[in-house]
Amino acid sequence: MSEVVVLDGMPVAAAQYARALSPRRRPPLAEGLPDRVVNLLHHRCEVADVAAYDRVCGFDLTDELPSTWLHVLTFPLQLTLMTAEDFPLAPLGMVHVSNTITQLRPTLIGEPLELRVRAEGPRAHRRGVLVDLVSEALVAGERVWEGRSSYLSRTARLDGGEDSRWSSLSRPSEDGKSGPIRDDERSRQARPAEGEEGSRQARPAETPMPTAGLWRLPSDLGRRYAAVSGDANPIHLNPLAAKAFGLPRTIAHGMWTHAHALAVFQPRLPDAYTVSVKFAKPVLLPSTVRFAAAQTEDGFAAQLTNRAADKVLFVMDVSAR
Amino acid sequence: MADLRNAVIVGSNRIPFGKVGGAYASASNIDMLTAAIDGLAARFGLAGERLGEVGAGAVLKHSRDFNLTREAVLSSALHPATPAYDVQQACATSLTAAVQLSNRIRVGQLDVAVAGGVDSASDSPVAVSDRLRRTLIRLNAAKTPLDKAKTLAHVRPSDLTPEVPKAAERRTGLNMGQHQALTTAQWGITREAQDELAAASHHNLAAAWDSGFFDDLVTPYLGLTRDQPLRPDTSVDKLAKLRPVFGDGPDASMTAGNSTPLSDGAATVLLAEEGWARSRNLPVLARIVDAETAAVDYVLGNEGLLMAPVHATARLLGRTGLALQDFDYYEIHEAFAATVLCTLAAWESADYCRDVLGLDAPLGSIDRAKLNVHGSSLAAGHPFAATGARILGSLAKMLAQRGSGSRGLISVCAAGGQGLVAIVEAC
Repeated sequence: MSEVVVLDGMPVAAAQYARALSPRRRPPLAEGLPDRVVNLLHHRCEVADVAAYDRVCGFDLTDELPSTWLHVLTFPLQLTLMTAEDFPLAPLGMVHVSNTITQLRPTLIGEPLELRVRAEGPRAHRRGVLVDLVSEALVAGERVWEGRSSYLSRTARLDGGEDSRWSSLSRPSEDGKSGPIRDDERSRQARPAEGEEGSRQARPAETPMPTAGLWRLPSDLGRRYAAVSGDANPIHLNPLAAKAFGLPRTIAHGMWTHAHALAVFQPRLPDAYTVSVKFAKPVLLPSTVRFAAAQTEDGFAAQLTNRAADKVLFVMDVSAR
Repeated sequence: MADLRNAVIVGSNRIPFGKVGGAYASASNIDMLTAAIDGLAARFGLAGERLGEVGAGAVLKHSRDFNLTREAVLSSALHPATPAYDVQQACATSLTAAVQLSNRIRVGQLDVAVAGGVDSASDSPVAVSDRLRRTLIRLNAAKTPLDKAKTLAHVRPSDLTPEVPKAAERRTGLNMGQHQALTTAQWGITREAQDELAAASHHNLAAAWDSGFFDDLVTPYLGLTRDQPLRPDTSVDKLAKLRPVFGDGPDASMTAGNSTPLSDGAATVLLAEEGWARSRNLPVLARIVDAETAAVDYVLGNEGLLMAPVHATARLLGRTGLALQDFDYYEIHEAFAATVLCTLAAWESADYCRDVLGLDAPLGSIDRAKLNVHGSSLAAGHPFAATGARILGSLAKMLAQRGSGSRGLISVCAAGGQGLVAIVEAC
C-alpha cells in the first residue's frame, strides 16, 4: 500500500528548486523509489493563468484546457516527490527525455481537478538511470487525463543495467576533470542525440515531412515560459546556470516545445488522444528551428529540426483514441 | 436570377504606386485613399454626389483607422452623406470589395458604389509589445495614483521594444516569401523563368505608360506621375546578378528582383447599375461575371500558401462552363514571379489537376502573350489592398478596348492561404 501525501495547496515550483539546490545525502538508489502518491484534492484553474500560458505557447484560449497545461499543474507535485529527503536521485540536472499524455476527455477550465502523482522505476538507461513520474487528473472521481514523464539522471548508475561502453565517462578522465559536464560533452561528441531514443531519431524521417513552420525562438523564451508555467529551472533562465549543466547557453523548456507543437494541431485534435514526444536534443535560445508535420493514419506526426533540417531536436506523435 | 440587374465597371482611378520610404513616405492610408477617390470623383463628375456606398480597406492598418474608408470619404470631394465600410481580405481586399458591391448593385440595393484599397509600407502601424499593452490597459483602469504607480512598476525595459508588422503567417512563422520558396522548389520553377517574367513585367508596364494607357487610370499625387518601383531598363541579365533572399540552399531562386517590392499606394474602381451609368453618359466598360474565393490548408505544409487561386479557378470554370482558354486576357497577380509560374504549372499539370483539384483533365496551358500584358505587381509595386482594384480597373479598360464580349480572368493570391478569382467581360 502506497503512502499517500495529501497536499493542502498547489506547491510553488520555484521554492522547490531552491530546496533542490541545497546539497544533501540521498538514500542509495538500490533501495528503489519511495512508494508514495502525492495528491492534491482540489484545484481550480483561473482563466487568466490559462490565458497567459496559451499566449506563450500559441494555443487559442478556449473553454477546454490544453492537455499540456495539465502537465504544468502536475509538475509541482512531481517536484514534491523528487525533492523529498528520501528520493534517491538529484532532480537538478535531470533531463526530460520523453513524455506521454493521454487525454481521455477534454477538461474544462472551471472543472474542479484532483491531481495524483507517483514515481515509477528506476530503470537502467545506457546513459544513466530513468525514472517515470506518472500523473493523473480526475474530475469527480473520473480519470480524465494521464501523463508519464521520463527523466534521465546522467550521473546515477543502476547495478546490472549499466552499459559498460559508457561507464568510464563518469570516472575521472586523463586531464583529471570529471562530473556531469565532462560526461555530457563526451557523450555529445560520441552520439548524435541525447534523448532516450536518440540514436534512432537522430536523423530526419526517411520520407521528409513538409516544412510547416519556421520558429524564431527569442532569448527570453525560457523566462516567459517559466513565468506562466512556474517551471523556473535555471537552465532555462540563466546562461551561467546552463553552462554549469554543460549547455552552451539557455535552452527552451521541453514542455514549451511540446505545447507549441501541439498548438499547431489544436483545432484538429480529437476529444480523446494520446500524444507522445521525445526530446532528442536541447533547443538552444535564441535560435531558429524548422517545424515539419504530416498526417498519419490515426492522427499527426511532427518533428522539430535545426533550420538546415539535418538534426532532429524533437519528435511528436498524436494518435486518436 | 432573372431579376438581377446589370452592374458595370464605369472606370477606375489610382495614384501612382510609390516605393517604401519614397514619394509617399509622409502620407497616411487615409491621405492616399482620399487622393485616389478624389481623382475618381474628378474624372467622373462625382464631386458633391451622394454615392450608394464606398467599400475599401487596408492590410496594414492602424487601430485608430477602424473607420478608414469612412474617414477618407469625409476627406474627399464626395458628398459627406456617402456611407462607407471597411473590408479586409489581405491582398484580395479591393477585389473582394468590388465583387461585394457589384453584387449589391445587381440585387438592387445600390445604384453606384466605389471599391478600393490602400496600403502604406512606409507609414505602417507599429504596436507596443503585448506585455506593455496589457500593462497600459491595467494602468488606464487603475483608480488611485498609488495603483497607477504600482502598475507602472511592472514595466520592464524589454517591454518597450516596439513590434513592427511582419509578413509572417501567424500559424507557421514563415513569411510569404519563405512559403512561396517551398512551393517554388516543389514545382521546380527555375531562376531563369522567374527573371524572364519579372523583366517582362517591367517592360510591359513601361510600354503601357509610354503609350498613354494609364492616362485615364491614374492621377498624379505628391509629385509622383509614374509607378516608382518601375525599372524600364531592367533586363534578364541584370536580374540574374541579384542574390536570392528567400529559400534555403543552392537552389534558392527568389530575389528582390523577382519578388514584389514593398510599396505605398491606393486604387479605386467605380461600379454602377448600367442604366444609372448610361443615363449620365458615363462609360460602361465591363462587368464582373462571377467570382470565386478559395482557401487552402497550408498549415501542415500539404499545399502552398499562395496556391488557393488555382483551386478557385477550377471551381469557377466548372461553375461557368468556361475553359481556361476562353479568355482574351489573364491577370495573375505577381506576388512573386514564382507565384505566377506555379499557377501556370499547376493549371498544366494533369497529376495536380486530377489528384488535388479533382478534375478529369488538366485546365491546360494559356497563350503567354495574353498574360499581364500591361505589366503587373513586380513592376508597379504592390500596396497590398490596392492591387485588386488596380488590376480590375486596368483589365476593364483593356476589355472595353478589345470589344464587347471579350473576357478576362483575374487571379489574386492572399495571405492566410486564400485566393480570389474573377471573370470580367466587356459590355
